[in-house]
Amino acid sequence: MTATTTPPLVKRLTGIGWVRSNLFPNVWSSILTILLLPVLLYSGYRAGLFLLVNAEWEAVERNLTLFMQGTFPRDQQWRLVAQLPLFALALGAGLGTASSSAQDRAIEAGLPHERTSPIGIVRRFWSVIGFVLVLLYFASTANPWFVVLGSVLAFLLGFQIRGLPARFRLYGWSLMSLLLVAGFQVVSGTTGRAWLVTAIVVGIGAWTLTGSERIVPGWRTWALKTGAVIVTSVLVFLLYSVITDPGVGWDKWSGLHLTLWVSALAIILSFPFGLIMALARRSGLPALRLLATTYIELIRGVPLIALLFMGQYVALFFLPAGSSLSSISRAIAVFTLFTAAYVAEIVRGGLQSLPPGQTEAGQALGLTPPSVIRLIVLPQALRAVIPAMVGQFISLFKDTSLLSILAIFEFFNVRSLVHGQPDFRVVAHAETLVFVAVGYWAVAFAMSRESQRLEGRLRVGAA
Amino acid sequence: MKTTRLLAVLTALMLVLAACTTGGDTTTTSGSEEPAGEETTTTAGGDEPTTTAGAPEPSGEGLLETVQARGNVLCGVNDVLPGFGVVNEDGTFSGFDVDLCRAVAAGVLGDPEAVEFVPLVADARFTALQSGEIDVLIRNTTWTATRDGQEGATFLFTTFYDGQGMMVPASTGFTTLEDLADANICVLSGTTTELNLTAVFGARGIPFNPQVFADNEQLRPAYESGQCEAWTSDASQLAALKATIEAEGGEEQFIMAEIISKEPLGPAVRDGDSSWAQAVEWSIMATVQAWEFGLDSTNIGSYSGTDPNVLNFLGTDGFDPGLGLATDFAITIIESVGNYQEMYERNIVPIGLQLEGSPNDLWTNGGLMYVPPYR
Amino acid sequence: MTTPPSPLSTRVPLWRDVRVLRVVGQVLAVAVAFLVLRWLLGNLTSNLDRLNLGLDFGFLSRPTQFQVPYHSTFNPRAPVADMVLVGIKNTFLAGFSGIVIALTVGLMVGVSRLSQNWLVARLATVFVEFFRNIPPLVIIIFFAAAVFTFGPFPNLREAILVSAPGSSSNLVILSNDQWGIPGFAGGSPLFTGLIGLGLILAAAGWLWRTRLNERTGRPHHRLAWFLGILIASVIISYLALGRPVSMSWPAQSENRRLIVGGFALNWGFMSVTAGLGLYTASHVAEIIRGSILAVPKGQNEASTALALSGFQRYRFVVLPQALRIAIPPIINQCLNLVKNTSLGTAVAYAEIAALTQTSIGNGRPALQSLIVMMAVYLMFSLSISLLLNLVNQRFQLVTR
Repeated sequence: MTATTTPPLVKRLTGIGWVRSNLFPNVWSSILTILLLPVLLYSGYRAGLFLLVNAEWEAVERNLTLFMQGTFPRDQQWRLVAQLPLFALALGAGLGTASSSAQDRAIEAGLPHERTSPIGIVRRFWSVIGFVLVLLYFASTANPWFVVLGSVLAFLLGFQIRGLPARFRLYGWSLMSLLLVAGFQVVSGTTGRAWLVTAIVVGIGAWTLTGSERIVPGWRTWALKTGAVIVTSVLVFLLYSVITDPGVGWDKWSGLHLTLWVSALAIILSFPFGLIMALARRSGLPALRLLATTYIELIRGVPLIALLFMGQYVALFFLPAGSSLSSISRAIAVFTLFTAAYVAEIVRGGLQSLPPGQTEAGQALGLTPPSVIRLIVLPQALRAVIPAMVGQFISLFKDTSLLSILAIFEFFNVRSLVHGQPDFRVVAHAETLVFVAVGYWAVAFAMSRESQRLEGRLRVGAA
Repeated sequence: MKTTRLLAVLTALMLVLAACTTGGDTTTTSGSEEPAGEETTTTAGGDEPTTTAGAPEPSGEGLLETVQARGNVLCGVNDVLPGFGVVNEDGTFSGFDVDLCRAVAAGVLGDPEAVEFVPLVADARFTALQSGEIDVLIRNTTWTATRDGQEGATFLFTTFYDGQGMMVPASTGFTTLEDLADANICVLSGTTTELNLTAVFGARGIPFNPQVFADNEQLRPAYESGQCEAWTSDASQLAALKATIEAEGGEEQFIMAEIISKEPLGPAVRDGDSSWAQAVEWSIMATVQAWEFGLDSTNIGSYSGTDPNVLNFLGTDGFDPGLGLATDFAITIIESVGNYQEMYERNIVPIGLQLEGSPNDLWTNGGLMYVPPYR
Repeated sequence: MTTPPSPLSTRVPLWRDVRVLRVVGQVLAVAVAFLVLRWLLGNLTSNLDRLNLGLDFGFLSRPTQFQVPYHSTFNPRAPVADMVLVGIKNTFLAGFSGIVIALTVGLMVGVSRLSQNWLVARLATVFVEFFRNIPPLVIIIFFAAAVFTFGPFPNLREAILVSAPGSSSNLVILSNDQWGIPGFAGGSPLFTGLIGLGLILAAAGWLWRTRLNERTGRPHHRLAWFLGILIASVIISYLALGRPVSMSWPAQSENRRLIVGGFALNWGFMSVTAGLGLYTASHVAEIIRGSILAVPKGQNEASTALALSGFQRYRFVVLPQALRIAIPPIINQCLNLVKNTSLGTAVAYAEIAALTQTSIGNGRPALQSLIVMMAVYLMFSLSISLLLNLVNQRFQLVTR
């Protein structure tokens, strides 16, 4: 029953009307405007003067590679050049898969859904794109241009996965994980336990993709799945014994590269751990609840720097004599444990927000508790907490700057290498600070906008 | 599909272009104070992002066997101290202490590049040594009783005799410690400098206010902007800093004549493993012994004399005192890093300190470098 | 017709019995945790034994041996426990000042974001989006570098002395190392005790007026009563004890290296407080904005229908409801601020984390020092969490 309705009359103010009502609505406001406007204009003028005219950006220009990759061995730079497009491809594949499944869900629910357009992406991520343009402006050779363009094209290529029919969707996630692992190992090498990581990823893919899709599988399905995992693991192991590439371990990574990877690794590794902690905290078993609560409250009660000190000074005492963990491995472990506690709290909030009727309906259907959690509770709860998780990722990304207190040369601390050079000992401190601050701001701002947007869309999408 | 194909082709093209132009962009900063003739550091082969580097469980074995089985020495060094330990932009390390690490690797393993440098801040030095993160600490560390005892370290042969001094801008006209009553004094955290400062000023009843920083990069702007009126550190570091500050157009500096304390700098290993300690110590002392014999990297391989002491030292007759080192370890060491004088001249003379007349000169020239005979 | 099998006759197999699974699950979990802890502690003790290091806390009674910055009254021969107390005091000071700044600025900016004035609203948005997305460490170092190390102020020996025209004492002393502000001098424990008593009386007055209001409905004016009793008690004790407290103005010492009199704020303290204050203010502003927006629009419309002015609408309708939503996350942000004071290690401010790092570097046992430091922070966070829970309960009672 659709009646034609006319939209309410809204007076759009332009020109003088807009100025009057927005800048001078009443006496107090007008006074504020009159006071603020000259101050604003003057500070804008001084800032512009500093940024564009007076500043010596030479410190940043000459050390751009230091900021980006730190003291990474220069002759192995090709690995980083290879990693970025792989990563962009993975990101494109992941975003394409996510966008198409979101579209499918919206179509199922009968809700409107706008397709992600390139223009939309540019508008949403203008800060990151702007920062990359600033970096390209500072670059002195053509190589960064090619790398960036190649990565953008790789991203678009990965995004094409959106066009695939729905049954290839799961392959999209597997492809993304494989590409991420490949991108990681292009730099870190394929020796040692690298095969194990790939085997796990491929194994998870094999497990998910084989077997029937019945909700309660029989023993044959389990056997098939196990067999698939074993076969793929053996294949991966053989492959890795052929390709031996020593790579550059993450102890040698530094600069913005290290910052991004530490945050990414910490959030990926902390996720399963935090999930288990959240479920344990809400479980009916008092022992589990006590253990989980103690862990979470202990970690949340102390500052991150205290845990980083523990990791740096005393962590190795808790391991058998003769074992060695590099300082960056320990830092990543600390970040993982720290983030896991916060992720646990976030997920717990999501679990609490789910109406208990969902669990009861699952039980009424005869599902076992693990199945209820796996099929009903977790998908809804996790979808609800995505904005908060993005917020946690932003915090983690900013907190990697604390590694500078441990004298690890991540993005912020590269400044001390730059200012250790004779040319820049006492000059250009402000310029490097501004550059680093803008770098952090660009990524964090884009992520926080995304999280706000997701929050808005999830509220619309939720029934 | 057409879009996909087009994108795939364009991506491949871009990546080819990127690959062709990689390696061409080197930063042009002249910042690295690396001395000439630098070797690159190896990444300890097969470094993967997981834990133990295949170290066998020390079931009663000493660290010497463990290190020889592992194939590399974990050496704790400084990465921001010109002359002693610096990390260059391409990731390689250079410096006097760094060269000593290489000497240890050459002596113990026969390969000067079989060393993994672990950069440490001053605060983390001894916990790293205690916990096994490093096998030997060669990081301009002062030998004190507390460090021998409470901190579980064993100090070896002193490789650099130094003292603690005080530096002020020349324009202030301060010449004695009493002039600094109530002043702000910049000092590095976790160093003997900090403790000596407190002890000496306390003994003389001079009140002062320390400004404690974690490393020189944070300290120097505070000193140059006047937040601190004085800077206290090892006299060798102060000399280097004075030279650099004045060369870069800063204020003229004055180092007070008074030496606040003795600072014998040397390598340290963990308590409780004498065979490892001795292997490290004799490797290092070999550099001084070669200097005393007049052997350096150019002529040690071609010694043709008959002095039995030298022949023992070179191991030509197969002399092996049972330290667990190869018989010709001295040749390996000297040929790769040079003798003490060469290392000093390569690393420390460029920062403004001379060898002749300093306490680090050979004992036959009036200095303190005196090593026990290799017999 | 066959009777259905009674539930009692069907025995659940042991491996599917929920009660058994619960017990077994908990036993397993505890056993795993226990084994892991035992392995860790076993390694710890064997490693420490190998090095002849102990696990005792005796180091707390041995001399510190280094001087704490900006605490000229601290004797380096004092035991380490005293140094820990100094650290706690400094953490508390930085945390408290930071919270004051964060709440004031945050409230202002949060309300400004919803202002009708486009300029004010945009400026507030820029402030929030700028400070929220930059690591607090960068902000602190920025203040330290821009205002102090590379800033416009001269050394302490040539400090800028700002005095009121016509008087010989200084209002403010500005330098790139310390700032001197006016303070109080004198005062006795009796005076402090009397002020404490006055505070208690004022709180009692608050409660009395609230009860009176609940019983009889008369307007409580409790804020006025609280402040009145407090100020009256302060004035009475001040006069009765013969003016024990006077203003002390900052001045330079003989050798112009110290600030005597007044309060001396050092640059580390100011960088940490200002940096963290602004960083947390941006979060507080977001929370306040969110909570004001969360008040249903109908409340605004109803207040306008009742002819309440803008101020009255905020004061009586919107803010009480908004603050109820906002206070738990704000208290959480205050907790974060106290934890973030550990960034003082980067600007040489002697709070507990910096002092712990220095003492570990000077040979104190690392594990025990870190345990002490974490205990300090846990104490802070547990007290603030307790406060949070109290506030939550109180507000929940009020809202039925």
